[in-house]
Amino acid sequence: MRTATATNSLRDLWADVELPAGRPPKPAGAAALLTRRLAPYLLLAPAGVLLLAISVYPIYYSLRVSLESRTSAQAAQFVGLDNYQRLLSDPAFWNAVRVTVIFTVVAVTMELLLGLALALVVSPLDGRLARAMRVVLILPMVIAPLIIGITWRIIYQSTGPISYIASQLGFGDVDILGSGSTALPALIFIDVWEWTPFMFLILLAGLQSLPMEPYEAARVDGASRVRTFLTITLPMLRPVLLVALLLRTIDAFAVFDQVFAVTGGGPGAETQVLGLYTYDLAFKYTQIGYAAAVAFAMLLMLLLVSVALMQGLRRARRWL
Amino acid sequence: MAVKQSRVGHVLRWVVLALAALITLLPLYWLLITALKPATELQSVTPTLYPHDPTTEHFSALFGADGFGQNLLNSLVVVVVSVAVALPIGTLAAYALARMRLLGGSNQGLSLGILAVRMLPPVLLIVPVYLVIVSLDLFDTRLGLIAVYVPLNLPFVIWMMESFIRELPVELEEAAMTDGASRMRALRTVVLPLLGPALATTAILAVIFTYNEFLLALVLTATQRSATVTAGAATLLGRSGADFGTLAAVGLIGLVPIALFVLFAQRHLVRGLTMGSFR
Repeated sequence: MRTATATNSLRDLWADVELPAGRPPKPAGAAALLTRRLAPYLLLAPAGVLLLAISVYPIYYSLRVSLESRTSAQAAQFVGLDNYQRLLSDPAFWNAVRVTVIFTVVAVTMELLLGLALALVVSPLDGRLARAMRVVLILPMVIAPLIIGITWRIIYQSTGPISYIASQLGFGDVDILGSGSTALPALIFIDVWEWTPFMFLILLAGLQSLPMEPYEAARVDGASRVRTFLTITLPMLRPVLLVALLLRTIDAFAVFDQVFAVTGGGPGAETQVLGLYTYDLAFKYTQIGYAAAVAFAMLLMLLLVSVALMQGLRRARRWL
Repeated sequence: MAVKQSRVGHVLRWVVLALAALITLLPLYWLLITALKPATELQSVTPTLYPHDPTTEHFSALFGADGFGQNLLNSLVVVVVSVAVALPIGTLAAYALARMRLLGGSNQGLSLGILAVRMLPPVLLIVPVYLVIVSLDLFDTRLGLIAVYVPLNLPFVIWMMESFIRELPVELEEAAMTDGASRMRALRTVVLPLLGPALATTAILAVIFTYNEFLLALVLTATQRSATVTAGAATLLGRSGADFGTLAAVGLIGLVPIALFVLFAQRHLVRGLTMGSFR
């Protein structure tokens, strides 16, 4: 539909474009040929330089800083692998790894299952009302994660509505964010609230792009709904599922804003995720070199997870 | 998916969708009423379901004593400039990727590389970016933030614009070029006018992402000189005895412009938000 309108408006436009009539194509001189060959690189160059400056260079710089003992922007001393050695025996680091892995695995799994269920249930609905409700579901994805954190901090705080309901139900004085057993689940719940719509939208689009024929064949064969889902829908949806999983995993693993706003890592270090630990090390305790080492370890873990998921993705594509 | 639907089943589907929408809206409703309740009502033991005595006192405190107008201004400057710079740079690169053959046909590889940059978690950037910005003497300046946000916006701009340009029929440019127009002229007179809506959609989403960015704003700013809305909100969060009414007011200010943008851009929003999931 978009392309159709584009073509129409182009035709209108075309009528106005005055091109010198009958001008022969440019002679293919050596200089002109060179310009034409170079043109794409000239177009790419500014973006390319800036992209390298925000990706490759910072990674290289991080690696260098992670080999230093740095307590300020200026003072630095080369210490070799000391920071990495320290990391291996740092209980706070391993605690952060544990919290981050729990957060990521539980949140992303729940988002995937809920998003899939929602997409399956909702996909036949159409019309203006259904679209309006889907726009509502987009909201959590576009609001700043920090603002979402602030919102839930207000809801979770000890005089807030949830504590009130819990006390009315006879749970006594509930301090959701003050107790180690509820703070992390509360954070996970925020993430599920925020990102289930993302899974839902991706999977809904995936569902709606599936071909009809296999379903008709299944109906002719009298396959049950569950069987149709397991043998047709799920396998065909697998590439989309894996990409969604990859995107969400990378995001959840590096969660920062919401944790910063809601718990600040507490109580104790019960919700100290890796992102927050890195930030605290660098900017609260000014151990910049060590923070760079932690960030680097985080990058390695993320790469491992991404490669594993990509491998699964490739296998899924081949399988189809 | 032409499974025969019972009427009850259909109603249940609507109930599920409505419930999902309700669960999404309830926390945002709570934010709204918290911002409008007077301090006394906020301290009551039984939370009220709507502001019985609505007030704008939190907003006047925010813009008065806390000088939050400056944060809004900083956000406005940083967002507008960084998106305005990233958009043309990214669009040119996107055009090269979509329409011109690169050495060895490496277009797709490059696109994927650009996508990978977008996936890089900001936490990994804070240490090196902070050190570089400090050494350039750009710490706690809006220019420093802009210098970081322009490249950070590029992967998204390139990816979106590349997919939009690919949707345009290539014959139009070819026709222009066989008529003697140079490629640059074809780009300017034929392609760009058609990309208006695409540029608008991309710009709106880039504005949203930039306005929402928090971690780098937190690291690279220190005072009202450059602190954006999110960085200012963090200052309020950290202030001991921060009242929830003021926090909620900040939350609303962070949220309302975005919600308005969503209404304008919803048509293509999903494509941008689920970026990378479909190729």
